[in-house]
Amino acid sequence: MSGAGKTEHLRLGFMETMEVDGRGHIGGLLITNQNGRPLEFQCTTPVKPNRTQEILFGESLRAWLLGELIGSTLLDRVSIKPNIIITSDPNLLELRNHTSIPVACAADAKTRVAEQGGTLRLGGSILRFHGSHELDAQTLSKQKHLIPDSADLAEPLERVREALAETVKTVFAR
Amino acid sequence: MSGLESDNAAENPGDVIDPALIREAKRGTRVDVAQTGFNPALGRCPAIETQTVSLNTVLDFVPSWTARRIPVKCIGLTLPEGMEFLPPKVDTTKSSDGFELKRIGPPKKVVEETGDGEKPRKVTRIKPPSDALSLQDRLFYLLQPPLESWLAEQELIMPFEPFGYQYEGIAWLFSSHSALLADEMGLGKTMQTITAIRLLLRSGQARRIVLICPKPLIPNWQREFKMWAEELPVVTVEGNGPRRRMLWTMPGIPILIANYESMARDIAEIPEDEQPKFDLLVLDEAQRIKNRDSRTAEAARSIKRRRSWALTGTPIENRPEELAALFEFMEVIPKAANPDLRQLSKLAKQYILRRTKDLVMKDMPPRIDRDAELELTDAQELAYRTAEKEGIIQLNDMGDTITVQHVFELVLRLKQITNFDPLTGESAKLERLMADMEEIGASGGKAILFSQWTKTIDWLAPKLKEFNPLIYHGGVPTKKREPILAKFKEDPNAHILLMSYGTGAVGLNLQFAGYVFLFDRWWNPAIEDQAINRAHRIGVKNPVIVTRFISKNTIEERIDRVLSEKRALFAAILGDGNNNNDVSLGMNATEIFGLFDLKARHKNGSKSIGPKPVEQATDAA
Repeated sequence: MSGAGKTEHLRLGFMETMEVDGRGHIGGLLITNQNGRPLEFQCTTPVKPNRTQEILFGESLRAWLLGELIGSTLLDRVSIKPNIIITSDPNLLELRNHTSIPVACAADAKTRVAEQGGTLRLGGSILRFHGSHELDAQTLSKQKHLIPDSADLAEPLERVREALAETVKTVFAR
Repeated sequence: MSGLESDNAAENPGDVIDPALIREAKRGTRVDVAQTGFNPALGRCPAIETQTVSLNTVLDFVPSWTARRIPVKCIGLTLPEGMEFLPPKVDTTKSSDGFELKRIGPPKKVVEETGDGEKPRKVTRIKPPSDALSLQDRLFYLLQPPLESWLAEQELIMPFEPFGYQYEGIAWLFSSHSALLADEMGLGKTMQTITAIRLLLRSGQARRIVLICPKPLIPNWQREFKMWAEELPVVTVEGNGPRRRMLWTMPGIPILIANYESMARDIAEIPEDEQPKFDLLVLDEAQRIKNRDSRTAEAARSIKRRRSWALTGTPIENRPEELAALFEFMEVIPKAANPDLRQLSKLAKQYILRRTKDLVMKDMPPRIDRDAELELTDAQELAYRTAEKEGIIQLNDMGDTITVQHVFELVLRLKQITNFDPLTGESAKLERLMADMEEIGASGGKAILFSQWTKTIDWLAPKLKEFNPLIYHGGVPTKKREPILAKFKEDPNAHILLMSYGTGAVGLNLQFAGYVFLFDRWWNPAIEDQAINRAHRIGVKNPVIVTRFISKNTIEERIDRVLSEKRALFAAILGDGNNNNDVSLGMNATEIFGLFDLKARHKNGSKSIGPKPVEQATDAA
């Protein structure tokens, strides 16, 4: 946005994962500017836990697999580090325990998610942060003005899902 | 048997008692057993021995597991940085054309339709082209934001927000390396092209673009670029030879505009190693290269470029081969290939985007066509019949030496008489025009009149003096043309603009005129439609009334009938989007001869004839 000025930039990360039939999970991270213009995209090859991991991680398997393993890898690989990572999958909030970058789960502002501590209204979404890192909401609120109220933060996640589906179709389905 | 053994037997009732003992007991023999059972035995100290055993400190098997990180591979894509331009200085709310400008805000949130009446806003996603094979190429398009939010991001200043079909057109062009945008005239091909160019530059997909258009349309493109993408630097190729060559070869010019003549001449003169390379070549009014062997077509194909776009409202004016010429330019068929109708139709589906007003502009005020079939005046009738009779006799007398050109000259002479009698100046069309203009003038309306001949326009002007006519044809110097159009728009007393088909038919925006008169008929309805669409185009607020003058029982009526019968012939090539308004055919030699019941005697009877191309023809007539 023109009002943002030239020195003030916000880099947004949009992360999603997808299960590939019989091959495990893949994840994608799209980095955009504050206007949603894409700057970089990384996606993983499918990752599948073995039986031992399934038994030992138990209920924490998905958080470990998606948040720590796939999420951390993607974040390591992007050359443009985002100021915030937005996702629609609560399992990915686990990533926050392995990075200093705030991670938030986006919900439509129209849904009945109460705004409370650890949440932040950004654009047309309410962001819910990791329970152990609720101060992230305060940190991010300082840059809130860079995102217009009408911005649709769920839309880039749809792009990530489409890109993952395209990747699966093009590369992994051979 | 010992007492211990006996105790054991009692202790273990399941054991079998020796039968000999039972027999002896029955004979009274006393058995020596312990009287108190086994309790005394329990009181005996057990014999305990100890020995030292060493502990085994190494276990044979210990299951172990360490949480090791699974190696994860990644596929990456870094998107190119787009060009940054200085934002334009906007200090007015009106464009040079007087349009009320509106700042487009960011898009509204896309939501499902809810009970409170909020409707979901349509978003236009850019799809990867079918010929993009690499994953990176496909991801590039998939990851772009919806056009509505992308364009809002740029805070475009627009006279009006693009329509949905225009967003689709922009997205289609943006993702196409070979594209023929064939929207019906008036649907905004120019705006869609400029916006797609803008997005290509902004996204780093293009850095050097050249746009070729007919010379009279260069001011129009300059104006439209200023309106739709003011921040983009546009340079026009003009001046003397060395200057033009410098402009062609100078790097760092994002958008170059040149006319067809300059392209054909200049490109040929630039040495091979200095030939410019463009990311995109756009041909406006691309039917100009319909003859694939022409110098213009060859020059267009020789320009080095990565993307090839063609713009035309009339992809087929006369023959399907014209479409093949465009496909060859777009590099979707091999050089000199001649695809059949089925192949053309298949290619059209992939590489042509064509929308008609009927399909996309349902809310647009209608165009009302009315054919004014007029009886010639007595003087005209006499002149016409005499000329026709003498002409046919002459043609018959020529025998085998007759050519289509001879017939064509007779047609022109007769058509001129239907406009007015050269001897007396009588004109049924003028009488009707005057009657209509009095009504239009009285209501403050404005009309555009088209004729094939500058001579007719010059003849009409003094007769329409009370309506302050303005003349716009090839005889008017280029520099004076824009002021004439401005005056027509702004002067409330200027009620009629007299235009030639050749100069006025393409590229002009005259949607404030509510009336169009076709004083005489062009050879090709496609050209007539182009002319009509100067007035009936986006932005028009009221219906446009089109009056086509046709003199009854004359050559005009016969030509109209022939062309009408042929209109639908090639509609199938371009699919369902056609409403037969502009897919049309010119007349070939056989048909020209047929106008007078003559048989073609030229060896090549199917050779297409007609006036010179519209851009040169009428003004010279």
